[in-house]
Amino acid sequence: MKKLLALVLALCLLCATAAAAAEEFHVGILQLVQHDALDAATKGFMDKLTELLAADGDTVVFDYQNAQGDSATCSVIATGFVNNNYDLIMANATPALQACVSATGDIPLVGTSVTDYATALADPEMDITVGTGINVTGASDGVDGMLYAKMVMELVPGAKAVNVVYCSAEANSVVQYEAFKAAMAEIAPDVAVNNYTFADSNDIQAVVTGAAEGVDAIYIPTDNTAASNMTIVSNILQPAGIPVICGEENMMAAGGLATVSISYTEVGTLAGEQAYKILKGQSEVGATPIAYCSQPVKEYNPEYAEAISFTVPEDYVAYAPAE
Amino acid sequence: MEAILGYFSSLNPAALLRAAPGGIAQGLVWGMMALGVYMTFRMLNIADMTVDGSFAAGGAVCIMLVLNGCDPSLALIAAFFTGVIAGSVTGFLHTVLGIPDILAGILTQISLYSINLNIMGRANQAVNVNKVSFYITSNVKVLGQTIAVTGVFCAAAIALLWWYLGTQHGSALRATGINEQMARAQGINTNAMKVIGLALGDGLVALSGAMLSQYQGFADVNMGRGAIVIGLAAVIIGEVLGQAFLRKRLNLWLTLLFVVLGSVIYYLVYVFVLWLKFPADDMKLLTAVVVALFLAVPYLRDRKKNSFRRLTRRNADSGKGA
Repeated sequence: MKKLLALVLALCLLCATAAAAAEEFHVGILQLVQHDALDAATKGFMDKLTELLAADGDTVVFDYQNAQGDSATCSVIATGFVNNNYDLIMANATPALQACVSATGDIPLVGTSVTDYATALADPEMDITVGTGINVTGASDGVDGMLYAKMVMELVPGAKAVNVVYCSAEANSVVQYEAFKAAMAEIAPDVAVNNYTFADSNDIQAVVTGAAEGVDAIYIPTDNTAASNMTIVSNILQPAGIPVICGEENMMAAGGLATVSISYTEVGTLAGEQAYKILKGQSEVGATPIAYCSQPVKEYNPEYAEAISFTVPEDYVAYAPAE
Repeated sequence: MEAILGYFSSLNPAALLRAAPGGIAQGLVWGMMALGVYMTFRMLNIADMTVDGSFAAGGAVCIMLVLNGCDPSLALIAAFFTGVIAGSVTGFLHTVLGIPDILAGILTQISLYSINLNIMGRANQAVNVNKVSFYITSNVKVLGQTIAVTGVFCAAAIALLWWYLGTQHGSALRATGINEQMARAQGINTNAMKVIGLALGDGLVALSGAMLSQYQGFADVNMGRGAIVIGLAAVIIGEVLGQAFLRKRLNLWLTLLFVVLGSVIYYLVYVFVLWLKFPADDMKLLTAVVVALFLAVPYLRDRKKNSFRRLTRRNADSGKGA
């Protein structure tokens, strides 16, 4: 009996020492809503962080929660995460990050799919190239508006009018519209740029139909509501033969002509790398600069191009769905 | 089988306990909104659809005032009066222009979407929580303080409503809700009563929206979406529980108290469902099922006790005795 007890104790001791050597991290993931882009960012984050920690023999336990698009639910989830005293929280999309920032000033927060951190955190003086100075860092899904403006003018050189379609309930989209409009004013001041906004998915059909009137091209920024409803958008714009330039790849695949592609998987991966360094104590969260995707690629959707009989320049990469 | 066991062992009861304070705080914030819904839905017998809009309007006004240097407490008061205006507009559309009450509320609600966007300038405005300190905040370190402050707010609102509804004026308002024709025959200006009730109800709803915007540190144009559903659920859960516990001793102020408790319970259910880690797509369905259970159990229990069958049996027994 005593021998058995000794054996059990020895085993416990062994487990304890093994556990001390390999750390187990707890990471909460708060995602605003479910759609391809945000899902890709979450997956990229989880895969990268798991991989990096596994290389050191550490493990990570994720607590993934989805707020179903409701900002009040973000707060419920955020306070739960903080009370669980997780080692780090990943916030996917702007309201998710804001809810976390309000809930804790201590636990490191890593954002993804947030375009403009200074605006989201209500601190215009923040210099995101050196870090936020608070317990927040992350990866941005922002692409320079100039790249989209150049793409529109490259694809439709004789354009007279370009409309921008997005959801009025999304702060990120307005930022992108303004950046695009400013860029267009710089490179093609004669082109009329107008915005067409819808309040929710019920209005999309009417608004897009209106936006398609007498227009040469349509630009749709990385808008969550538009991203969820690209099929409706495409059903109207494709028969009308209008070139649609989308904010990101998944939207283009669902019904657009071309995009300056940033991969949300990469946004997540970048955030995963930041999280790894923070968890391992290699970098301090407030001093970690906001990460941007390295090299945006010009990409087009061959199906859509064929449907509207459009020939894209040769340096565009044809979109091929991932297996 | 293993999968089921694995699922249950992955649930951590301590995590549920730790998530509860957040749920209570948010429940109290929405409790203020439930009181507003109780005003219109039970006192006036109007399902006021304005609340989805006035809730976000309260948040928008509060955040914009704070961003422009206004004291957070004053911003709450301003938000309350924003709601009063929104409710008055609904009342005006209904009583003066003769638009049916539900439609009048919907009209104000959708117009508030544009108004809120204009108030904020864009869809989402945040306050830098490191520079402005709120008494009501989701910062977990001071969650106790938040619960205390929101609790005091709700208690004050209950006391004021209880006092007001007991005055001659308040009684006239309740009479309007119970039997409009009869109230008018008694010389009550029922139209004025409806406008006052809607204004007061929406004022409380906007105050709640302002409290939530401080709690979460930002206002979003979508924050009121579905608020009416939460408000009605809180009212009904509160009433059912109140009747179950207190039966005939349930008077007005206790009802108001239970309405706030109903909202807290709604959010605790939400925390519970999140804790269960159900597939996110099924969240709303599961929340609805749990709330429906809350509503059904007391009713079914009552029915069992008071069924006609038992009555006939009792009658038969007493017949034998006689």
